Amino acid sequence: MSGPYLDVTGVSKRFGGLQALDDCSFAIEPGQITCLVGPNGAGKTSVFNVITGFIRPDAGQVRFRGQVLTRMGSRRIVGLGICRSFQNLRLFADLSVLDNVTVYLPSRTDENPFRPILRPIRTEIERKRRMAAAMSILEEVGLAHRARDAVRNLSYGEQKLLCVARLMASGAELLLLDEPTSGLSAQALEAMIALVLRLKAAGRTFLVVEHNTRIVQRLADSVVFLHQGHVLAQGEPAAIVADPKLGEIYFGGAL
Amino acid sequence: MNFFLSYLAIAEIYALASMSTNLLVGVTGIFSVSQGAIFGIGAYTVGILTLNDWASFPVAMAAALILCALTNLAVALPALRIAGDYFVVTSFGIQIAATAVFMNLTDITGGASGLAGVPPPNVFGRDLDEPGAFILLSSIVLAAAALFFWLVLRSPFGRLINAIREDELAVTAAGKSVLAAKVGVSALSGMFVGLAGGLYAGFLSFIDPGSFDIDASILLLTMIVVGGARTLAGSLIGPALLTALPQVLSVLPIPSDAAGPLRQILYGLMLIAFMLFRPQGIAGRRL
Repeated sequence: MSGPYLDVTGVSKRFGGLQALDDCSFAIEPGQITCLVGPNGAGKTSVFNVITGFIRPDAGQVRFRGQVLTRMGSRRIVGLGICRSFQNLRLFADLSVLDNVTVYLPSRTDENPFRPILRPIRTEIERKRRMAAAMSILEEVGLAHRARDAVRNLSYGEQKLLCVARLMASGAELLLLDEPTSGLSAQALEAMIALVLRLKAAGRTFLVVEHNTRIVQRLADSVVFLHQGHVLAQGEPAAIVADPKLGEIYFGGAL
Repeated sequence: MNFFLSYLAIAEIYALASMSTNLLVGVTGIFSVSQGAIFGIGAYTVGILTLNDWASFPVAMAAALILCALTNLAVALPALRIAGDYFVVTSFGIQIAATAVFMNLTDITGGASGLAGVPPPNVFGRDLDEPGAFILLSSIVLAAAALFFWLVLRSPFGRLINAIREDELAVTAAGKSVLAAKVGVSALSGMFVGLAGGLYAGFLSFIDPGSFDIDASILLLTMIVVGGARTLAGSLIGPALLTALPQVLSVLPIPSDAAGPLRQILYGLMLIAFMLFRPQGIAGRRL
């Protein structure tokens, strides 16, 4: 493998009068959990949007395993193994829990519109296979017993676990989680942390937007501190959290 | 007996069209108000081809199916990149344009006076000129289409278009092409309504632009609102009820010139009532 696993170099993005990202650079190591921290409006979600091809940066580039992502569409980027979640979840509310996962399973031909008509039996076999694959993912995250329920009947904690389940279904090796623990009860929080650590142990890599410094210290191998679209520091969680200057920015001191 | 069979044939034709509307509007959430126009293209294709003896009925039906799929695609390609509300306006424009074409391409469509004397469907050397014979054909087509509709809805593609209705951005994040799926469903939907149009021309033997105008599009939408979105049962119940309404009005003691406006008023009231009291329709899921 040439160079770092995921490498963001000099990325800038301006929306009208707002400089969302300003010469933003950092790198991610494989098999690690990297936490992206910073005050509100620091550009954390913009970083996700640039990496996954949702927005095209004005300058700079993103490389994943040596390949330049910056001009690719989101479809190819997911195909290469990067999948992101959303801060506001964006679950398919009217679909069952199971179907929320099956839609995220990759497909080549099984989602062809004419296939159910031209090859009904083959399609039925594929449907069953996809449902079984989704079911085993739901078992992994502990939602198998809710597979048939509508998403809107799930608790908020369960909905957030389902978001991770969808990313697992995509087959991605690098998962980008946007605030996976915000708004969770203590119990749901522990379930989420345990799941992320379990997936990390199984070889997945994470980039996580996280606000709570205590959770950052429990999860992160590396912390990227973002402020006004620029990376102020990257390093071990203990060092970043202990830095008084960063603490002041983070908790609303100097601006 | 013929009276009832005629009603049944019309109901079956509209059930085919409703499956098309359901795929597009009910399942995928592409709010099209040009379904009447596509229905008309199917009808005119079969009408023109068989009336001029340019093609046999089965060939004309195949042509209608392909032409409607392609038209829906052509409509879809530029318009599907436009989000939600704007698509309604775009498809409204297509509906208006189609009506203008049906009205003014007089040499081919017969203009406002329509096409009279479309021959009855001829299948395997038999003229299906009696409702009893026609009903056999329309039932077979409907049964096959219903099976396909059911297969599509439960397939992975069916799940995908349901997800697109819920959240396009989340589907994009899954690495799926929303546009490709919409193009696919537009083609499928065009085929269903193309079949319906072709049968309509063959059964009534007379077609005119008034049957495929914006009112027709709204009628097709009303059918899935009443019957129910996203289900096979809804696509059958809606047309069965709404095509019965004119028949019922025709036996009631009302002056014939009041029957038309009264029908429109009843359609309107039904739409309002269903939206207020049962938005999911009789046999559908929440819209």
